[in-house]
Amino acid sequence: MADVLIKSVETGHSFGPYDVTISPERSASYNQAVGGDESPDYGISLAPMMTVAAALTELIEDLGLFSEGLQTVHAGQEASWIRSINAGEQITATGTLASSSMRRGSKFATVKVEYTDADGSKVGDSSTTIIVSGVDP
Amino acid sequence: MSDIQVAAGADLPGFDRYVPQDRVDAYAEASGDHNPIHLDEEYASKTPFGTRIAHGMLSLAFVTELLAKSFPDDWHAGGKIKVRFSAPVIPGETVSIYGSISGVTETNEGTVVTCNVGCKKPDGTDAVSGKATVPLRQG
Repeated sequence: MADVLIKSVETGHSFGPYDVTISPERSASYNQAVGGDESPDYGISLAPMMTVAAALTELIEDLGLFSEGLQTVHAGQEASWIRSINAGEQITATGTLASSSMRRGSKFATVKVEYTDADGSKVGDSSTTIIVSGVDP
Repeated sequence: MSDIQVAAGADLPGFDRYVPQDRVDAYAEASGDHNPIHLDEEYASKTPFGTRIAHGMLSLAFVTELLAKSFPDDWHAGGKIKVRFSAPVIPGETVSIYGSISGVTETNEGTVVTCNVGCKKPDGTDAVSGKATVPLRQG
């Protein structure tokens, strides 16, 4: 099996930038999946965690967390917003591995992500903590 | 803001949400997270969970929906949340989303509400739990 990034990545490693612009159609699909008619009508705004979910999908891919032999648990999540984000609005996510350590044979990693708009202004940030087993050589 | 009472101890308007595999499949499609532990029963049966589990981010989406319902004008602009995922939601379960105000603080920038929030499994254990803060707009 080819080496995957989660096995070798070190603190300070940068991820992205990822284009996490969410189309109105994808936003509607997301809202339907989460709650459908039971959920609030967010209008043109995205549901609160949609952008974080999109960035997380990119991180999972880059870190190789689906690779054979690995088991990943999503242990913790933080997010904060300076303003709401609209469907179709250009948003870029840039991540950094904030911490990484091995404990009892599992890797604990925290990735911090900053979200910026088309003007480069920060609109929010998030922090994702994962526990990955199966990373031992 | 909704008509909730902004005072320590006040409950947010919690709700229940059924989580069938169809919802998990739809969430995977919309979010792009196609991890087989959520979608492939044969794969999931060999994991420590023994079966498919819902995305943690789906459960967190329910929790942030509660905050959006409770503070519709404020949550999207300045809201913060920090949670831990302590147990998986199994497709077919109905989860209960809950929240309560734990504190109301006056700052130079205005009023900030702190809430305990979470998502409970049918047996009462927390799948998701944590804290959120919401700055309330003036006026």
